[in-house]
This record gives sequence, C-alpha cells and structure tokens, in this order.
Amino acid sequence: MKLFKSILTVISVFSLSFSAFAVDKSFPNDKVAMWGDFSGITLDVKLIGGAPYDPLYEVMIPIWEEKTGGKVSILSKKSHFELDKEIKQDIAAGNISYCVVSNHTSFATQYGDIYRDLNGIVPGDFLAEFVPLVLEHSTVDGRLVQLPQHSDVSNLWYIKSIYEDADNKKRFKAEYGYDLAPPETLEQWKEQAIFWSDPPNFYGTQYVGKEEAITGRFYELVIAEGGALFDDEWRPTFNDEAGQRALQWFVDLYNAQAVPAGVLNYLWDETGLGFASGTVALNLDWGGWGAYFNSADSKIGGDVGLVRFPMGSGGKRGGWSGSHTYSILNGCPEENLEAAASLIWILTNHEAQMHEARGGKLPTMTRVWDDIAGEMNAEGNAFMSDLFSTFKASMAEDAFTPPLIPEWIPFSNIIFPELQAAIVGDKTVKEALDAAAKETDYLMQDAGYY
Amino acid sequence: MVRKIFRSPVMLIMPSILAIGFVIIIPLIFSFYTSFTSYKLTRPDSLFNFVGLRNYERLIDNAKFWYAFGRTILFLAVVLNLELLFGLGIALLINKITWGQRTLRTIMMFPMMFSPILVGFQWKYIFNDNIGLLNNFLYLFGYESAIPWLIDKYLAMGSIMVAEIWANTSIFAILLLAGLLGIPRDPIEAARVDGCNSWQVFKNITLPFLMPFVFIALTIRSLDVGRAYDIVHIMTGGGPAMRTELLWTMIARIGYKDANMGFANAMSYVSIILSIAFTYYFFTKLVAARRDLGQQ
Repeated sequence: MKLFKSILTVISVFSLSFSAFAVDKSFPNDKVAMWGDFSGITLDVKLIGGAPYDPLYEVMIPIWEEKTGGKVSILSKKSHFELDKEIKQDIAAGNISYCVVSNHTSFATQYGDIYRDLNGIVPGDFLAEFVPLVLEHSTVDGRLVQLPQHSDVSNLWYIKSIYEDADNKKRFKAEYGYDLAPPETLEQWKEQAIFWSDPPNFYGTQYVGKEEAITGRFYELVIAEGGALFDDEWRPTFNDEAGQRALQWFVDLYNAQAVPAGVLNYLWDETGLGFASGTVALNLDWGGWGAYFNSADSKIGGDVGLVRFPMGSGGKRGGWSGSHTYSILNGCPEENLEAAASLIWILTNHEAQMHEARGGKLPTMTRVWDDIAGEMNAEGNAFMSDLFSTFKASMAEDAFTPPLIPEWIPFSNIIFPELQAAIVGDKTVKEALDAAAKETDYLMQDAGYY
Repeated sequence: MVRKIFRSPVMLIMPSILAIGFVIIIPLIFSFYTSFTSYKLTRPDSLFNFVGLRNYERLIDNAKFWYAFGRTILFLAVVLNLELLFGLGIALLINKITWGQRTLRTIMMFPMMFSPILVGFQWKYIFNDNIGLLNNFLYLFGYESAIPWLIDKYLAMGSIMVAEIWANTSIFAILLLAGLLGIPRDPIEAARVDGCNSWQVFKNITLPFLMPFVFIALTIRSLDVGRAYDIVHIMTGGGPAMRTELLWTMIARIGYKDANMGFANAMSYVSIILSIAFTYYFFTKLVAARRDLGQQ
C-alpha cells in the first residue's frame, strides 16, 4: 500500500508540477514556429511513457491538434526498455511505417538506418537553438537522427539537516578526522554513507543496481577513477586497476550495509522514492526528481541539498549523460513529414523545455538554461535556482555519453550480471571484471571491431 | 492423384491443415532455420547469413546457459511437486465440504484470475526488503534486520517459487477436484465395510483413481512452468548475478534486448528438449496409471 501510495504521489506531483504552469498557446518565446495546416493527417507515434513523460504530451499534443487540425494516434506508450524491445521487433517485422518515435542518445545507434536525417526537415535556425554538444550526441554516422527533449546527468542529493546537526559533526570529526560536509570525493562519499547507515531504518546511500542503470553508474565511476571501458581499438580495458577500484566502491558499500539490501533490484523509481521517503542520506540522481524531492509530498521537503558528483581518484567527476529525444522514421509517408517535424518541434521547443525545466528536467536549448534560471531567481526559488546552476556546471564540465556504438546495450547485458556477482560476493572484483572483459572481447570481435 | 487430393474429406480438413501450417509449422521451420544464422533483429539482412552449427557449438560451451538449464529443472521439480501437494490437499478438503462448496471453488480460483505480471508485482512488493509487507511484518515481532528476499542466493529463487505456487496451485486443485467428484462411491464404501481406515482408503482407492488426473495436471503445468517468464521477469529479471535466471528470461534477453535472435532460437530449441522430456515422462506415467485402472 505504501509503495502504491508513493507511486500515486509521484504521478500526482509530476502532473501538478506541469499543470501549475499554464502554457501560452501563442508560444511567444519561440523564435521558430512550425505550425501548419495538417487537417486530415493522422500521425502514428510510439512514445516513452510514465509519470515523468506523460504530462508534456497531455499539455502539448492537444494544443498541436487544435492549432494544426492534425491528429496524433499513440500506437504504443511504455518504458524506454520496453519500447526498445518493441522497436527491435518492429524492425524485424518490417513494421516501421509509423512517423514519430521516442528515442535516446544511448539507444539510437542500435537501430541502423531506420531514421530520417533531420537536417533539412527541421529548420536550421531551430537547430541552432540547441546546445551544440547535445546535437553532436544526437548524430549517428553524420546524420542527425533525433531531436533532444531533455538531458540527464546525475548529481548528489543529500538531506541537509543531518549535515547541520552539531552532534553529527562532532561524532563524524572524531571518527574520520575531517569536518562533516557533503562529500567531495568518492572516498568521502563511501565513508559518510557508512557513517550515516543504521539498517534497516536508515541507509547512507543507494545505487541503481541492475541492467543498463548499474552499467552506466559503473562506467562513470571508471572514468572518475581515471580509467576507460575500452581502448582506442575498442578492446575492453575496464578490468584494469581503475575498473577494479570503481567496482570495489560498490562492493564496499554493499558489504558495509550502507545501501539497502535489495539495492540490486532497484531502478530509478526505487531510488527516487527511497530518497523522498527520508530513509537515505545521500542519493545520486538526475534533476527531474528535484521539484518532488523538495515538495511537501516528500518527507524531506525543504531539507534537500545538492552537490556536484564527487571526484574519483583520477581527478574527474562522474558524468554519464544522455538525452531523451524524438526521431522520425524513414517509413513515415512523405505527405506526413512536415506534420511529423511540427510535432517534434512542439515537444522540444522553448515553451516545452521551460515547462519541463520547472519540474527540474535539464533543457537542451542554450537559451532555456538562462531563461529558467532567470525565472527561478525572479521567483526567489533558491532551491531550483541552485539545482540549475549545479546541473548546468555538470553538463558543461563533467557530462559524457556512453560509447555511441550499437554494442552498448549488448555490452551492458554482459557486464551487469558480473558487477552484481562481485557485489553479492559470488565472485571477486577481479574475477567478475575479467569474465565480463572476456565476453566483451568476443562481442567486439564478432561485431568486427578487430 | 490430383482428383484424390480434391476429394471432399481432404478438402474438409484443408482449412485445419492450412491454419496449423501458418500458425505452427511455418514459424517453427522459420525459427529453426534462424538458429543456424547470425540473425539480429535490428539487421534484417543478417537473416541470410548462414553460420551452420556455430550457435549450437557456442551453446555447448556456454556455462551460463547450462546453469539456467539446471535452475529451470530445479524450479520445475520443486514447483510441480509442491503445487501437486497443496492442490491435492485443497481438493480433498473442498471435496469434504457439504455446504458452500461452489463458493469455495470460486474463491479458490481467484489467484488464477490475475495476470502473471500482476502476480509478479504483488509478490515483488511483498518481498521488497525495504518497504515490503513481509519484512515490515517481521519488524513488528522484533526482527531487526532487513531480509533480502529477492537478492539472497537461496531466498530469491524460493520467493519466486512461492509466487508461482500461489498463482497456480488452484489449477491442480480444480483438476484433482474434478477427478475426486468422478470417483465411484461403491469401492470406497466397500473398503470401509471391510474395515479400511481413511489412509488405506485414500492410498488404495482414491489415489489410484486420481492418478490419471494428477499426470494430466502435471503435464499441463510442466509445460507452463518450463516456460516461466513473466513472474520471474517482474520480480527479479533473472538476477541478481543470474541467481534466478531461468531459460526463458535468458532467451528473451538475448533475443530481444541484445536482438541476437539466431542465438536465442538455438537456445530455445535446446530448451524444448526439457519440455519434451517432462511431457514424455508424464504421458508414460498417465498411460500406466490408466492401464492400472483397466482403462485404455
């Protein structure tokens, strides 16, 4: 019941955060407008669904239908992992004649050449509004196959009051010899997580523990530790010392019971809801949860702090990043192309991105970063203002994508069970990484990299 | 010859032959063919990339596959036996009831009415280490540690078994209850007149009459359990560290997430051996049980 209630809370909070801000249907701040008369056109689309995504569709699609006379038929709406499977089946079945589909920079490389190049379909002055690096990440084999809606990168959220408590400060200094403050390094993060833990009532930290989620987390820790997943010839190198240090960090936290026992079954909802329940001190997460974490619906509302991703021993911060995007399929009939471009315009334009940013999502347009910061400052919303300045710095200085190769997801499916095996103690860190490296070597050989 | 083919009996069964051909035989031939190719869902042209026995050779060396194979056999053995035991117990109890039997039969079937996905979510929540019902219930009695039901090497598989048994025991109960209702009263009454106690009546009369029903239920459920996917996928996804990986969660991941359908189909064809073996064994037993009862 508690979980169900929490899920309902998240849905309502995400919905409220959008409905609270009415959209000006004239879109006065958009320099480029892509309206048209699309009467009689019905666009078949497949979209990523769920509480963080649906509110935008609920606001924007009716406006688009009203203003253009076109209709949107949503053939499918599901989580990105499920959508990914569906797209692969669609490719196999040759069923790729729908027009618009949700995409992601980490996934797009897998699907071959099923997408249209948006250069030439979307006006250049609209594309010029996007952060150039994000557009670069949306490009596959020189073709702009997707238009970014919002980006994700993670930073460290923490419960402020426990860090301000004088008794905690005194106890921590006595135990670790330095002043208690939100962690600046991975080592401090681990020490503080162990310090805060009082299982099963309270945990120092947590991490997403399965599938691509833990692969991504491991990846950014490898980078922070000064390592790399692959060398220049795409041979696996993540089983070197930097990789071992990165995995050992997960293992140490698990063994110290500084993370919940079931963490290896956690994905984003579990970690987000867990932090909002007030039972976790430090939580690495994206900005999209920000408004909810600090709201009255969260048990830590008004008591949430945020710092940059702590640094690893390699002198770098984690910054695994990607963008949720929209693509137009090659199979979309020519006569629907303009309407399809118009639809992805309304889902990614200035108005849409401002709308999403008010809930904490990270914009992909340069101008929106400034406009949302200005709006939050004008409202005196220090929390959201801090959120955007922190994430803006991360996006500018720390963010990096996973290797943009079709083998990213198959690679992830090889490595994540081995990471888990080390964490639960079935294998040593070295054994697990060596086993994953051996299988990855086969994968890359089969794919023709060497 | 042509005239023979177009004679009415052949024409009459032709729709069935065509339907079976399209729905079963052609997909089977197609998937069997792809198991000899490097077919990737995302690269339709790879369908014609014939690799001979390579997928099967790799399968033989794939320890993870054989662990999943072994785990599936264990899962089948435990789940089928416990479902049989509980189903038989429930059927015997309901058979004894003289008032409200219909209502109880309906209530008993409730778990069958849930989709496996819902059952998976329900038990995932119950076994959640942090906010789950079970651990919070244990805290009430002073237990101070969060038991990782869906993580622990032994408990994870046990938790999935509990969910599977909860959802499907009633199939056994219904089939066995049907068998119990069909048992003639005369031999039972004659045995009681001859001084047999309840256990002797059950062992020597009721159970032999029930055995054909038991083996039919076991055959149906062995095919079902051998294809277990939804509940496992929702509760653990085969993890952590492949501790709960069964054949079909592994095959689905390789086939759909990795898009490596040629290799996944090779796995499927080897996996089918398991279903055939169980079905053959139970059918042999069914025939023997019917023979013991003097039936054909």
